[in-house]
Amino acid sequence: MAVKKIQHTVLHVFVFIVFAFIALIVLVPILWMLISSFKPQGEIISYPPTFISEEFTLNNFIRLAKRVKILYFVKNSIIYALMSTVPSVFLCSLAGYAFARYRFKGRNVLFILVLATLMIPFQVIMIPLFLIVSNLGMYDSYLGLVLPKIAVAISIFMMRSAFTGLPKELEEAGRIDGVSELGLFFKIMLPQVKPTFVTLVVLGINGAWNDLTWPLLITGDMQMRTLSNGLAMFVGEDTQEYGPAFAGAFISILPMLLLYLFGQRYFVEGTVTSGVKG
Amino acid sequence: MVNKNRLSMTLVPYSFIAPVIILLFVFNILPLFSAFGLSCFDVSITLEQPKFVGLDNFAEIFGDNRFWNSLAVTLKWTVVEVPLQVVLALLLSALLTQNNLVNKIFRGIYFLPIVCSATVTGIMWKLILHSNVGYITYLLRIIGFDNINFMNSPKITFFVIVFMSIWKTFGISVVIFVGAMQNVPKSLYEAAEMDNAGKLRQFLSVTIPGIMPTLWFIIITRLISSFQVFDIVYTTTGGGPNFSTETLVTYIYTRAFEVYRMGYASAVSVCLFIIILIITIVTYTGMLKQEKDY
Repeated sequence: MAVKKIQHTVLHVFVFIVFAFIALIVLVPILWMLISSFKPQGEIISYPPTFISEEFTLNNFIRLAKRVKILYFVKNSIIYALMSTVPSVFLCSLAGYAFARYRFKGRNVLFILVLATLMIPFQVIMIPLFLIVSNLGMYDSYLGLVLPKIAVAISIFMMRSAFTGLPKELEEAGRIDGVSELGLFFKIMLPQVKPTFVTLVVLGINGAWNDLTWPLLITGDMQMRTLSNGLAMFVGEDTQEYGPAFAGAFISILPMLLLYLFGQRYFVEGTVTSGVKG
Repeated sequence: MVNKNRLSMTLVPYSFIAPVIILLFVFNILPLFSAFGLSCFDVSITLEQPKFVGLDNFAEIFGDNRFWNSLAVTLKWTVVEVPLQVVLALLLSALLTQNNLVNKIFRGIYFLPIVCSATVTGIMWKLILHSNVGYITYLLRIIGFDNINFMNSPKITFFVIVFMSIWKTFGISVVIFVGAMQNVPKSLYEAAEMDNAGKLRQFLSVTIPGIMPTLWFIIITRLISSFQVFDIVYTTTGGGPNFSTETLVTYIYTRAFEVYRMGYASAVSVCLFIIILIITIVTYTGMLKQEKDY
């Protein structure tokens, strides 16, 4: 029995070490990058390379700002992340609500149509989409950046599931009080599914902030680039300017890192529901 | 008055779904059909003087070595990345299912790369594996692996990028698996323990069957996304060295936005769509058949 217990403990320690090792592989590069963005140039290229620096400088950020329009990148990323997410979640909620709570002709056909668009990979349609949007005169504009990202099938699907479970009395009480249908949605129904709403907003902001392909295609002007495509173009295939590259990655990751620290639960819930139910 | 009200009541749900239906139509469905249409034309980025060429683009694809290379690279990605990611995530999740503090911390850490864009992931790993400034290159040098050329080798760069992709997404699979495993009824494990089934036996006979729908979901989504790889290649190698990391989507991108052959790029997109469709149908029927057998 004692031998078995020792074996058991040894196994547990071994598993723990493996887990810790994988955790290090995830964390070390991120930490090294975050710290390195404050290292002086001399230290970045020194051999042996350091992990933690004794000297902290903002020089890399200043050099980055001289090379690219980093403030424009930040501004565009904020606009893209918010404007493609908040209106999107509102409109998808409204549609999901209609699919869940109203009976109307063509409901099932239209819902299947929505689900069918899940099967269209963005990479397959990116070229015609680019041609359509730029021929509508929306190349290099915020509208062109945002508009194709508003209708999201998976959001409509998740909102429909969230609204389906609510009790019928909610609407009836509202209708007796003479609330308009839109008022019913905004004042009574939408607050009931707030967790799903917030989850979609958080995941949407993260997704748009990190989106590379669409901003890459639809923006050309340096002042219209987002952090994701602007920095990718700056760094290029052969990185020479290490310090500014670290600084750019730092600026790019920090807001989402903070979002994760405060809203990890929404990241997890959104991922699990879209995975298990989807 | 009553009739008017009833009419507006019927219109309410349509007006609620109209915005997204119109947007989905213009920005998803229309482009899909346009891709098929464009694939029969020789047309540049300005859309001026389109020339109808029938199926010529597809005939050209058939003899295009760079297309076959990108298809081979993509298939290699599927064969290497999907099993590695699924097995790794499955094993980790099985051991991290319980909700204690240590497990929660590990899960939180593994999930963290969800906040890293492909750009950040690319910059970070390129620099940490860099031959001059890289920290990992330095650590490897200490234990005797001298000067491995991670980012510029036709042999190993592909695997380095696959690793980056797994690094970025395995935590997502873990979180989804854990969610499913926590829903497997405890009584099934208790019954298995009564039968003296070991942990491995329990994993194979209780956990795996219990999470079958989720397992299929992960396999299907990972398969599909392996045919959509672009971001991480664009931010690291751009397809090189020597086209060894040029995936199908990377090739589509270069055709459209480097040589401006929109028709040809659309034809390759159509091929991509058909491949993804076939894979989805095959795995989906596999799933249905397997569910019937249980």
